[in-house]
Amino acid sequence: MLRLFARLILRPLKSEPARALLTAFAVALGVAVVLAIDLAGEAAAGSFRSSVETLTGDADLEITAVGGIPEAVYGQLATLPVALRLKVRLEDYATLSGGGPDKGAVVPLIGIDVVADALELGITSEAGPVPDKDSVWVSEGLGLKAGDSIALQIQDQPGTYRVGGVFKQKGKIIVADIGLAQRLVRRPGRLDRILVWVPPARTVDEWQQQLQQQMPAGVTVALQGARTQENRRMLEAFRWNLRVLSYIALVVGAFLIYNTISVSVVRRRSEIGILRALGATRGAILAAFLGEAAVFGVVGGAVGLLLGRVMAEGAVQLLGATVESLYVSSRPAAIEINAVSALLAFTIGISISVLSAWSPAREAAGVPPTEAMARGRSDYLARVHQRRDLLLAVVLAVLAFVASQQPPVAGKPFGGYAAALLLIGAGAMAIPAMVDGINRLSSRLLLRLGGVEAMLASRSLSASLRRTSVLVGALATAIAMMVSVGIMVGSFRQTVLIWMDNQLKADIYLRPAGTASADRFPTFDAALPDRIAALPEVRAVDRFRAYPISYNGLPATLAGGETQVVELGGGAQFMSGDRASIMRRLPTCRCVIISEPFANKHHLTTGDSVTLPFGRFEIIGVYYDYANERGYIIMDRRTLLKYLPDPAPSNLAVWVKPGVDLDQAKLAVERAAQGSNVAVFANRSLRVEAIKIFDRTFAITYALEAVAIIVAVMGIAGALLALVIDRKRELGLLRFLGATTGQVRKLILCEAGLLGLLANVAGFLLGLALSLILVFVINKQSFGWTIQFHWPVAVLTGALSLVYVATLLAGLYPAHIATRLNPIEVVHEE
Amino acid sequence: MDTILIRFERVSKDYLADGEPVHALRELSLDVAPGQFVALMGRSGCGKSTLLNMAGAMDLPSSGRVLLDGQDTLHLDDAGLTKLRREKVGFVFQSFQLLANLTVAENVELPLLLAGGASARERAREALGWVELDGYEARLPHQLSGGQMQRVAIARAVVHAPKLLLADEPIGNLDTATGDLILKLLRRIVTERGTTILMATHSPESVVVCDQIVRLRDGRIEAVETRDAR
Ligand SMILES: Nc1ncnc2c1ncn2[C@@H]1O[C@H](COP(=O)(O)OP(=O)(O)O)[C@@H](O)[C@H]1O
Ligand SMILES: [Mg+2]
Repeated sequence: MLRLFARLILRPLKSEPARALLTAFAVALGVAVVLAIDLAGEAAAGSFRSSVETLTGDADLEITAVGGIPEAVYGQLATLPVALRLKVRLEDYATLSGGGPDKGAVVPLIGIDVVADALELGITSEAGPVPDKDSVWVSEGLGLKAGDSIALQIQDQPGTYRVGGVFKQKGKIIVADIGLAQRLVRRPGRLDRILVWVPPARTVDEWQQQLQQQMPAGVTVALQGARTQENRRMLEAFRWNLRVLSYIALVVGAFLIYNTISVSVVRRRSEIGILRALGATRGAILAAFLGEAAVFGVVGGAVGLLLGRVMAEGAVQLLGATVESLYVSSRPAAIEINAVSALLAFTIGISISVLSAWSPAREAAGVPPTEAMARGRSDYLARVHQRRDLLLAVVLAVLAFVASQQPPVAGKPFGGYAAALLLIGAGAMAIPAMVDGINRLSSRLLLRLGGVEAMLASRSLSASLRRTSVLVGALATAIAMMVSVGIMVGSFRQTVLIWMDNQLKADIYLRPAGTASADRFPTFDAALPDRIAALPEVRAVDRFRAYPISYNGLPATLAGGETQVVELGGGAQFMSGDRASIMRRLPTCRCVIISEPFANKHHLTTGDSVTLPFGRFEIIGVYYDYANERGYIIMDRRTLLKYLPDPAPSNLAVWVKPGVDLDQAKLAVERAAQGSNVAVFANRSLRVEAIKIFDRTFAITYALEAVAIIVAVMGIAGALLALVIDRKRELGLLRFLGATTGQVRKLILCEAGLLGLLANVAGFLLGLALSLILVFVINKQSFGWTIQFHWPVAVLTGALSLVYVATLLAGLYPAHIATRLNPIEVVHEE
Repeated sequence: MDTILIRFERVSKDYLADGEPVHALRELSLDVAPGQFVALMGRSGCGKSTLLNMAGAMDLPSSGRVLLDGQDTLHLDDAGLTKLRREKVGFVFQSFQLLANLTVAENVELPLLLAGGASARERAREALGWVELDGYEARLPHQLSGGQMQRVAIARAVVHAPKLLLADEPIGNLDTATGDLILKLLRRIVTERGTTILMATHSPESVVVCDQIVRLRDGRIEAVETRDAR
């Protein structure tokens, strides 16, 4: 068996190292991408363990409330006649505003009871075991020592603080006494979390229920870690979609393995025949060729593991940024490569290789011993059943349509994924007929357009129809992915632009300076908006306040705005109902409007109600929103203040009086905000920033597309090389018939060009179909937003041309080899 | 006009086979006048194919020189050699060497298309008429018999009206009767079109149709026999 393998597989592989390497590298890239996305996704999502948990270890329960827990609740708990262990925490963020490499970084700011907790946290201080209450303590990661000072922006306030001491902790965290922290973040008398350790008399669940009953309205008792779980759950759809995208490169790689093994089988037909005549069993032949695929799988897996580790570094940066702007504050954890990832890499590499090799290996096993006599055949058998395949393509396409109509399962668009896969299958089945049809139609035309070389190229491609189809299929799949994601992103972008036109009607926007995140809502000094409203240039100010909340086990945002002010310029677009009447009702009723992602996530619609910790509210409208995926519940500011009386706003929108110069108004606003650290955006620059974030969000999909294209183009290069070697006699003959080396080169480049053209056409059509699934099924079901279909013409034209040029470039090396053939030797006759 | 179409002047050709030098031709000199039908005979390995490739500007001498219609092949670059071939040379092979994916007519017009010539299809049809294969234009090679395939190959070799036709064992793969027909066809090409033919062959029957027989042995000319073919 080993000798059979050596003779049938290893020796031929060694004689064509370039092609073997290309195939192995294609597998490696496919594996690397999947691994990189997995590792990076885990790292980006792995850090939701809140800084409080990292700091304190696991409690049994945690008590929270939207807008903070009144301190009285702590007193109430402390006086219960049970032995609860309690710790209080205030949680917020500070921006490092000093110099140095960390400038601008956002780090958690945790308020603790220093007297009770300092020793336990290992806080040391120059003043002895009990630190003084006006300093902050920093984790080792910040590289400071006791007595240093640290510049921080907390909410919108810059300030300099003394470092009272350093504590042992990975990462960057700042701790202050709870009293100081409450003052700094402007939440006097409020706690963000009470951690509870319960006595073992009852189960934690029972404790949770019992304590919850004793809490005032608005205060929630939950198992600890619930929030981390919620965040992970929220991110699941996002990670799923990335994962699915990362599989595309693997699918393209599968085409190439299939092609490589098919070439091996076809070339060694007579040898297989001889071996069969000498007594090799079918099983042995099958095993030998599957073994060849497995070799590619092992090599690809090993290289892919290393490559994936490197790629993950880059991916985690991109993912981290996206997670921050769309979902939740995240501090990427370290990328960890372990036995599981190694196992994953090899499993993926080997299984994709062996699966793709199955059909050609079966064909090899079916070669009868009589083929030993047959002359070595260099072309594929024309075993392409075009009509049957075309029928199958139609069936698959119909199934794809049916799948695309299915509702999501557990919030994941499995129907959409299935539809995409079925469509790719349908494409693969339809491609031979298309290739053949086009080649047949255009022979004379090609002669006129591209000369005899183009005609010969087209003939040779249709002569090896199966090989050509597989190549076109591989490249078309990659192109289809590029086109579909391109259309989806382009449509999304256009939708967001239009949405911003409707939504952003104010002239100037303000928020506390610092990196924004979907779940951080630093606030202004409550006096600031009044100062701005009093400016002579200003017509009105909308004070907007948002709170991160948890709704039915998923993170969300609760916010209040000044409906009457917003109504000045129009604004939200509603999915149904009359905007004016909705906005008229909102300030007075016990009601809310919700964003589309929130509505879809929780299956809510107009007329339903949302249950908040402090009561039920009727939903009077669902509005389009693309700001982030957490989803919004919005009420009028007056309603919100009734339940959460903190008047400090987190965002301001300013309308300028008619006729006032915008730049002048902006200057006036900036002057009014002096002393606070705020970011002031003119309407235009806010949009520019929003689009910048949008583009950054999708950067990773471009990277994934690029890899899939690279894999496909490498496949084209490898396959053209094989085609040159298999047709060297013909190429040599052309030289005898008066072809120049230039014409031979042009012939190979024409083949590359035709492959590229066919793949572009097929890929574009397939991509268009896929984009419909992406826009209307997968995106809608995963993220819950409606995207209007738009053609990103420039992007598509550019991308397709680029791919086309890449395909031509892939033909250069094979073309060079073709011109170097010695015609006398290759036409050698016995 | 030259009285010599092809001239070999003390031509040697050496190859390296497994590090050992092989002398395929040794200081061989030969002149062929236009309109001659010359047979090259000798054992396998005596250098016939090498000589033909040299005559067709597909290969260059290691020493000495080859003049094709007055042009020294050593003085031409790749483009020049190709041009020479396009204008003056046609090749016929033992195993026909038709392109399997092209129809008969497309095979025949190929030299014209490669040279960028006009009215290729028409001239291909004419050439096919010459080899008596009218009506076979649209067939594919695998639908033809061996003799028919070789006639297509001959049509392809003369479609651009070359002065020189080089045939390497053109009847080696054919039965005697079919081979005779091919030989007669080649003779007719010499007589009626004035084409010069250099043909490597093993078959004694060839002798009948040729004007001259050049016997090779170990890369040298052993004997030259001239005879009246009529
Ligand atoms: N490319 C080559 N490399 C090495 N030896 C060669 C090559 N071509 C021909 N020969 C050798 O040159 C000699 C003449 O070959 P060839 O002209 O093909 O003979 P013939 O056609 O008369 O059978 C033979 O010994 C052959 O082995
Ligand atoms: Mg020979």
